[in-house]
Amino acid sequence: MSDIVKTFQSGLADGKLLIQSCNACKNKMLYPRHRCTKCHANDLGWVEASGKGTLHSYTVVRAIPPAGFEGELPYGLGIVKLEEGVQLMARLKPGASGDWSQYACDAAVAFARPSPGPGDDRAVAWFKLA
Amino acid sequence: MTSVQPKLSTDARSANDPVFIGVGEIPSGRYPNRTFIGDLVEVASRALADSGLHHDEIDTILLIPCLHSFSDQADLIFSRLVEELGLSKAAKSNFMVHSGGSTSDNAVRIAAGLIASGHARNVLVLQAERWGSADLTEMVTMLTMNGIPKEWEQPSGITFNAIGALITQRYMAESGSTPEDMASVCVAFRKWANLNPNAMYRDKTLTIEEILASKLVSDPIRAKECPMLADGAAAFVMTAAENAKRKSDSWVRIAGSGGCVSHYSLGQEIEAGKLGWKIAADRAYEHSSWGAKDADFAQIYDSYAAVTTIGAEGLGLCPPGEAARWFRSGATSPGGAFPMNTNGGLLSAGHTGVGGGLALLIEGVRQLLGRAEKPRQIEQARRGIIGGSGGSYMDAQVLLLERIEKGDVQ
Repeated sequence: MSDIVKTFQSGLADGKLLIQSCNACKNKMLYPRHRCTKCHANDLGWVEASGKGTLHSYTVVRAIPPAGFEGELPYGLGIVKLEEGVQLMARLKPGASGDWSQYACDAAVAFARPSPGPGDDRAVAWFKLA
Repeated sequence: MTSVQPKLSTDARSANDPVFIGVGEIPSGRYPNRTFIGDLVEVASRALADSGLHHDEIDTILLIPCLHSFSDQADLIFSRLVEELGLSKAAKSNFMVHSGGSTSDNAVRIAAGLIASGHARNVLVLQAERWGSADLTEMVTMLTMNGIPKEWEQPSGITFNAIGALITQRYMAESGSTPEDMASVCVAFRKWANLNPNAMYRDKTLTIEEILASKLVSDPIRAKECPMLADGAAAFVMTAAENAKRKSDSWVRIAGSGGCVSHYSLGQEIEAGKLGWKIAADRAYEHSSWGAKDADFAQIYDSYAAVTTIGAEGLGLCPPGEAARWFRSGATSPGGAFPMNTNGGLLSAGHTGVGGGLALLIEGVRQLLGRAEKPRQIEQARRGIIGGSGGSYMDAQVLLLERIEKGDVQ
């Protein structure tokens, strides 16, 4: 596993969402890259995300999951745009109603601890309604 | 985004203008008794007969990949078809081009470049897929394990239906389209499929009510809004205009093309409700002498309804945000003012892997050659727009095709 993957995934395991930051031009990157996508420098560091963002789109997977995800159905997924200007695919926690009916495009969301259960140790960022 | 586009090196009067002269196809669906190589040879033979060429006039075979089997794909790359088609020593080149669902659009660019530059005389482009007879669970797993970033997105449990659903959800939020509006897009395609003897669902009707009564697979997409994996095969032949003139009174040329590669993973698409379509369309229109208002029809990739509505809006075929309601009005259905996906699209003709885009492309060529079966043939079809997309809707590819009559260019 490459260092950028290791650092990002161990951040998630520690409850931190890490964003790559170019030490040359300050460009922020997520997902992490091997060189800066703006200036192509390879002197790259990390900053911790505030965890605040908006939901660009979302879905609830109810059937035909990938192998190994059968025990997690149904589950929420969404594209989250972080206030730092980067974005990522994330798992969404059920809302207060126990499902995902309160989610909407452009809703405010926040980085969260995973819902306890099968798959809660996967290297994926979880978000909840803010 | 203000880069200057290169110009086409040929026009309709150029001897080396690359043109389509024939297409071949066999029915899509579940055909466990057909074989991969047998299907390829059959569509090659049909395309050659349609083009009026003898098989040994083909000097270049351009392969579109299959996704059901790495071993079958290796056979193609290792020139099995050269042997099967009796082209040993006659063929100059046999190779594969691949960009997922947009492969056929890129294959056209490659074939056109080879012909216009003098590296090829007659190019046969072909594809077959065995998805309908393959193990569904195995294919779904294959699609999830390949092309979705293993480091960043596979741990989320994303699926291809979820990718379609994320695009659909955003499109519906931006456009105010209802589930009924989205379902009507699938119904419009089904009406065309009912007129296409090669379509998987040629004999089955579909209604909005049936779609909305089917179970949610990945919100807001329901089971009957997902494409069905199918066996299928298709081929086309391209040559230079000077050769076409000797064989035929009409042919189809490329008036221009445009493309936009916007992302690899859908999690990085900044506009999931728009994708790269407007940029690709603007580039295509700038590249050619005509635009959206001049087209007689369009064939736009439709592995989910929203993929096509987003494409139609980016191409300027209807006002922004109105595509789903435009489909619901019947405008794109048989008898409508602007026919779209007249083979039934992937959603109703069948999802033949990388071949779904190819089937739309050759339907466009067939319409412009005036060779579609009677009830499906668009009268006076002279200009058609082809739109393709590959990967996780990573790109939007636009080809502007036009019919040329021999009398117009002599």
